[in-house]
Amino acid sequence: MRSKLVALVLCSGVLFVCGCGRTEPQFSYREGLSPRVQEYVRTTVDEKFGTPHKIRVWDKLPIQAHTALATVGEGSKDNSLVVDITGAFRPIEPGTEVVWVGGTMMPRGSAPVTVEAFTKDKNLLSLVAAPPAAPKAGDKIVIGPGETLTHGRLLYAEHCQHCHGVAGDGQGPTAPYLNVRPRDYRKGLFKFTSTKEGMKAHRSDLARVIEDGIPGTYMPSFKLLKPEESHAIIEYVLFLAMRGESEFQMNNLLASDYSDASVANRIKDGETQEKVIEEFITRVKEGEIDEEVNQRNEKMIADWVSAQAEDAVIVPKEKRNASDEESIKRGRELYLSGNLNCVACHGESGLGDGVQTYSVTKNTDTGKDNVEPGLYDTWGNKLKPRNLRLGMYRGGRRPIDIYARIEAGIKGTPMPAFGAKLTEQQKWDIVNYVLELPHEHRTPGTGVAPASPATKPAPVATTAH
Amino acid sequence: MKRFWCLFFMIWPVLALYVCWIAPQMGWWFPFNGPTGMKAASPLGERIDDLFYMILYITTATFVGTQIALGYVLFKGAAATDEGNTEKAWYSHGSHNLEVIWTIVPACVLLFIALYQMDVWAQYRVKDSFPSETKQGAIAEVTARQFEWRIRYPGLGPDGKPLPLMPEPQPTDLYTVNDLHAVVGKAVMIILETQDVQHSFFLPELRVKQDAVPGLDIPVWFKASKSGDYTLLCAELCGWGHYKMKARMVAETEDKYLEFLQKLTKSQNYDGVPETPAEGAPVASAAE
Repeated sequence: MRSKLVALVLCSGVLFVCGCGRTEPQFSYREGLSPRVQEYVRTTVDEKFGTPHKIRVWDKLPIQAHTALATVGEGSKDNSLVVDITGAFRPIEPGTEVVWVGGTMMPRGSAPVTVEAFTKDKNLLSLVAAPPAAPKAGDKIVIGPGETLTHGRLLYAEHCQHCHGVAGDGQGPTAPYLNVRPRDYRKGLFKFTSTKEGMKAHRSDLARVIEDGIPGTYMPSFKLLKPEESHAIIEYVLFLAMRGESEFQMNNLLASDYSDASVANRIKDGETQEKVIEEFITRVKEGEIDEEVNQRNEKMIADWVSAQAEDAVIVPKEKRNASDEESIKRGRELYLSGNLNCVACHGESGLGDGVQTYSVTKNTDTGKDNVEPGLYDTWGNKLKPRNLRLGMYRGGRRPIDIYARIEAGIKGTPMPAFGAKLTEQQKWDIVNYVLELPHEHRTPGTGVAPASPATKPAPVATTAH
Repeated sequence: MKRFWCLFFMIWPVLALYVCWIAPQMGWWFPFNGPTGMKAASPLGERIDDLFYMILYITTATFVGTQIALGYVLFKGAAATDEGNTEKAWYSHGSHNLEVIWTIVPACVLLFIALYQMDVWAQYRVKDSFPSETKQGAIAEVTARQFEWRIRYPGLGPDGKPLPLMPEPQPTDLYTVNDLHAVVGKAVMIILETQDVQHSFFLPELRVKQDAVPGLDIPVWFKASKSGDYTLLCAELCGWGHYKMKARMVAETEDKYLEFLQKLTKSQNYDGVPETPAEGAPVASAAE
């Protein structure tokens, strides 16, 4: 009895000490480079982007990381500032920190100034205490530095992390059980976008996915999130995408010379391990690699910025034509035509069973044949072309959503962009046809009249039914 | 000392009475932050609450009664162990009279409850007893899936009124996720389905709960007595994401409801072309 009691006390003691400890979340890293080089990539990524608990964002990154940005206007005095808000992303609440950027008012090391109240209609920002020096008109201030991202990280941990992973690598603890794999953000690619061919996602695309979910996958709808919560998550996801892409680019850059395989080959060709590493260190010291990395980062940033611009979003030049029998018929002909070859993947009946689903395809990264036949996305997951007869549209069911898929393709997948091949009316014909596919046994436009076998209309096109 | 403990444990019936007394005011029984506060937000829900309270009173009375009886027996038994007491124990086991009493009395109580609630049950679950307003058909098809509520409304007809909901999806149908709208003050029916596992459609403020069972189309009706936003939850542990399966049910006036459907029709047919093209934007390329 006594020994059992002792054992119980010991066990609970051990549990108390070990079981309740908090482990700090860690970003995951890509692998495949020679250890010393990998180390360099890791430290560089950490230097640039920080860790989950110490996020770093540089000014250049197009992320709305703060609560608000403002310029001090005329008539400010002591602790009451007239501000011109240039970007408000979250409600400004009492207690929010205020930081001066580039001004002389906030010497390094001085205690932070916090907001007492913000009167929106008068643009009056009153501070708890007067800043160390008098405010000058034109001073740029940041309200709530980094707060959007901090909030976003917490919300991400609550709602997204268990599938998408701490670093957004799509390898959270739930991910192995999911058949449609969660998105890996680290290529900076998102599938369902409203932007033009080859462009990155617009913020509104991420917002729509968070709000409506993706039917047919495990991504549920988060409709009840407040707008500022949704915004905070989007900014954090963008941050993870940029961090991941920056790392991906570095790995790509160094893989040709320093991946495990390349180093092994070089050693086979007569070089020594030490020589290879020495060469790498010299290249780093000379700044050659840093320069190339910076260039790639600049390009990534420019891509993200341009995807947020107004002209990045697809706007059809013509309005959708009526979804009548003629249009649907034309759409079907286009769908079956060899020029577009939709049937190669989606199949003649739109069931997603085209020949490509059992043909040997090439890996988009390596250019080699895939081991298993079928289609793959750029993340290496096996892919099924959409069964168009289910009426389930992952990227949204609005005509513009289908139009955008046809116009710009689905990024990261074998679905190509057909924008240049088709006229506006042809695109709309295909949209009409695709939207009619789940209801094809009905006469188009007859609404809810149930199909009765006696009066069943002739099929739209008599081929391949 | 033993008499003290006998009395001390009489704290339980006292506590039970106290908790039953204050619980409704404290909002311990029912959700209290919906549009109607602590009161059920539907007429049937009020009757369900009445049933709940009736059963609560019966069980409280039973609990307190048995506790007092237990206390009495203990107290008397304590006296029997006093020094010098020569009273012998009395065995009640096998007493036919007692067995009959405590079989018949609870059976009568249970039978009473069973008969008394029949009407509410029938109204709630038996389709023939549904309010006549629901005979016009369902307003929407609610499909539960891991981990969200997908809702299909029939579209609006040429007269601006909602079309009847068809069992099969129609080109005119309208879709939302996690956003169920219904007309306030009117009994409305939905068809409940599930795409994967078992879920449960739960409107706590309206006291409506119905399991969604794979393969079944289950009609569920409710009548919100006040307009506002209500909570719609999944009440059946359906998987790892069960906790995030939360939606809203918006009860609104008929006009607002139609307006919502009109807005939905418009957004669902959006073709990406701005209504009035901005100046300098390419004009529709019909001339090409």
